[in-house]
Amino acid sequence: MLARRFMSHILIVDDSQTIRRMVKASLAPLGVEFIEASSGLEAIERLAVGSIQLMVLDLNMPDMHGLEVLGFVRANQKFQQLPILVLTTRDDAASRTAAMQAGATAYLTKPFTPQTLLGEARGLLERTVEGTR
Amino acid sequence: MTTDNYILFTVAGTSYALPSQDVAHVEMVDQVTRVPNAPAFVDGVVFSRGQVVPAINMRARFGFERAALDVSSRLLVVQSKGRSVGLLVDSCREFMNVPQSSIHPPGEALSGLSAQYVDGMASVGNRLIVVLSLERLLGSTEHAVATRPREQASGEGHGYTETRN
Amino acid sequence: MTDFLDNFLDDYFAEAEEHLAVIRRALLTLEHSVGQRRIDGGVLEELFRSFHSLKGIAGMVDHRETEALAHELESYLRALREGDVILTTGGMDLLIKGAGALEASIAARRAKGPARDTGVVVEEIQSLITRDGTSQPAAKPESRGRGNWLCTFTPSPALIARGVNVDVVRSRLREIGEIITAAPMVNAQGSVAFQFEVSAAVSDELIERWQPDGLHFTPIAPGGAPGARAGADDRSGSILSSGHYVRVDLARLDELMRMIGNLVILRSRLTDTLARSERHMPPGQYREVQDDAEAIERELRELREGVMRIRLVPVGEIFRRMPFVVRDLARDSGRSVNVVLSGQDTKIDKFLVERMMDPVLHLVRNAVSHGIETPVERGAAGKPPAATIRLSASASGETVVIEIADDGRGIDVDKVTARAKQAGLPVPSGTIDAVALLELISAPGFSTRDASDRVSGRGFGMNVVRETLQELGGTMQVETHPGEGTRFIIELPLTLAIAAAMLARVGDQIFAVPQAAVREVAEFEAASIRAMQGAEVVEFRGAPLPVVRLSTALNVAPSDATRFHAFIIGSGAAAVGLLVDRIVGHREIVVRTTADPLIRVEGVSGATDLGDGRAVLILDAGAIARQARDRHGRRGLTVVRGIA
Repeated sequence: MLARRFMSHILIVDDSQTIRRMVKASLAPLGVEFIEASSGLEAIERLAVGSIQLMVLDLNMPDMHGLEVLGFVRANQKFQQLPILVLTTRDDAASRTAAMQAGATAYLTKPFTPQTLLGEARGLLERTVEGTR
Repeated sequence: MTTDNYILFTVAGTSYALPSQDVAHVEMVDQVTRVPNAPAFVDGVVFSRGQVVPAINMRARFGFERAALDVSSRLLVVQSKGRSVGLLVDSCREFMNVPQSSIHPPGEALSGLSAQYVDGMASVGNRLIVVLSLERLLGSTEHAVATRPREQASGEGHGYTETRN
Repeated sequence: MTDFLDNFLDDYFAEAEEHLAVIRRALLTLEHSVGQRRIDGGVLEELFRSFHSLKGIAGMVDHRETEALAHELESYLRALREGDVILTTGGMDLLIKGAGALEASIAARRAKGPARDTGVVVEEIQSLITRDGTSQPAAKPESRGRGNWLCTFTPSPALIARGVNVDVVRSRLREIGEIITAAPMVNAQGSVAFQFEVSAAVSDELIERWQPDGLHFTPIAPGGAPGARAGADDRSGSILSSGHYVRVDLARLDELMRMIGNLVILRSRLTDTLARSERHMPPGQYREVQDDAEAIERELRELREGVMRIRLVPVGEIFRRMPFVVRDLARDSGRSVNVVLSGQDTKIDKFLVERMMDPVLHLVRNAVSHGIETPVERGAAGKPPAATIRLSASASGETVVIEIADDGRGIDVDKVTARAKQAGLPVPSGTIDAVALLELISAPGFSTRDASDRVSGRGFGMNVVRETLQELGGTMQVETHPGEGTRFIIELPLTLAIAAAMLARVGDQIFAVPQAAVREVAEFEAASIRAMQGAEVVEFRGAPLPVVRLSTALNVAPSDATRFHAFIIGSGAAAVGLLVDRIVGHREIVVRTTADPLIRVEGVSGATDLGDGRAVLILDAGAIARQARDRHGRRGLTVVRGIA
């Protein structure tokens, strides 16, 4: 009975405005609403005050490392189920493992193609919807 | 000879003038957010420089058919007694210095809804311009709100249901 | 993919320019560290991050030469940071050369010229990392840059005899950085001490040198700006105790505000219940309960204000970046400028600090680009060659005043008028006073993107400054004197009315409903709505719930939706469901009241701007629900609040 199909909100965390715009443009076909954060603390604040269905997270940011954000978020019961797509600059060989261990749901490297990102995000959102039914 | 500076605008083919000191600014307008149950001549609200101002449709105010907003439509944000109100007009392009001596009382020739807001008529060159009184224009809107008949309030007053997006 | 990328090239160039500016500045600082074992960790970190970010965005727009070079520079910086290599003069030169090559490579791409070959520099850096590499890094570079320190000073008669007192300590600390908090305390031995929280570059040498003077340093948060790492440092609570002060996450305050909002609703429900029970209660007892309810309301109001005050942060957060911006701009334009800051401790709402950053930045940039003369011009005018920009803040009652003043040439009114006429803007006749002048320079269309805006890549003109201020409920004035300078005076409210709201679509309009008024959200089939005693009801939790179609209440053309979302307002017998077509999201909104009598209608409490400049009405859900209860069966909201 409770409304479940609210419009999805995707939180895009990256300190680069260019990247945030690219992510938004890539995910536009999902017809979702975007919330942006340019730092780790901001990301946590947005998560805490809003209802987010998917977080796209950069690793290298000025105030908090993405891994710290992951750690903080996953330590919170409320965000255990939140799909987190880590999107980071390539050739951080060890960081994929680290990110997955810290609780990332999926991992993509920059440069990304809009199609790959869209496919990945769509998959994560659909999985969540099924999971809550 | 004293002259005053006026802003000129048109509504349904007629040129009107308001003293420029009463006009805070003029802006283009592409969307008005409808306010339910507002007086029939109020199209809704707009954000003008961070402020919420009502938009009076001057065509409706003067008893004409509404027209769709287009590139020449303008919103005149006027200020009076601490209020900021927007006037939606067909176009607004000119400033003009009008000598006091060329403004004449309206006389009997003027009729229609707009007559009650008129301060005088000015003939500048071969043009006839209707000089409005802002005080009366806004004053009468207060009056209209306070005494608005009930049937108008309940919906019939809104002869239009389309939003002007 | 190429078409996709083309849309972002301008963003890329603008952001790359920002990183290059950071790189240039950091390299200047770094030059002083050549040959030293201890390098300021903050500068290395900044450089590393800039190269890294540049690599990331260059990769995205498929700009391979830049990506490769930025990658190599990043690797060198990583090696420096890890202490694997020592910064030599050759290394410094190569960094400067590399930064220059990056700049040239990006400029070439921007001018659509042939790609610059960055391969040579890339190889040079690679060989440098091998050459300067130390097999046994004797000491890691000094990683304690400008960080947060807790400095405890324990005074003693001996120290005072030597002239070391708390005042001296305070000025010493000010010299090396910024004091965030200062408080007296009683230490474990029962004697009085002073505790300072400072943001400063504290070296090991300094710690040793000042120890005999009764000063002890403990790092609080390594690196970063004050407050920036609170979340990272204490994952469990995000509250960091230092002396008599605690640091709190904004999210926690929002949570508190939400709880207070709930209390306010509960209290108003109490009043409703009370009103209904009046005739069942002895008058004396009724009055007592009513007095208590009113007392609770007063306390709640104060509690709310108290929490709003915790959101206040020092205005210095806006100012902190400005000296760097000015230094860069001044250097690029051949000017010499000193920046003087005052009143940085003045407190203002965190939200306002974030929103004011760009407007202040714009005014400061304007001062440098348009206000300040070249040293030669200044000399000719009998002024000191170095100009001064003063940024000051002060609190007065419920407002904060921020001033941006320069001692430049002043605004040339004739030039402004000419430019305004050229731009086709209405120019009032007669003398242009300060108000009219501000009006002209803030008119949309007056400032096309000038040089200072191009640096940031954003068309942030004076009109945006003014719009931002108006949106925040602030005002701006200007004072300018030919040959003497210009002063912008900004007045801002201490706090803002911010509310969490749900956005809903009714017909073809979007409305905002403050979350505080909504007890619950539900979804119903259109077919499940039944008429009952002249009202519409649905079955909800096993009981009939009266519902109001907002399309009817708001005179909006109804949609033919087969399902509705509903806001449940009130509880128990007083519960009402407000039906909307769809809830489309939720958001923090800045509440603007609709004060004019023409638009003061029952059921609408204000309007907000969702960021696209369009007005979205904020509904007074409580009033609509109340009306529905009161006028059982009558359609529509027909009462317009009278004008007294």
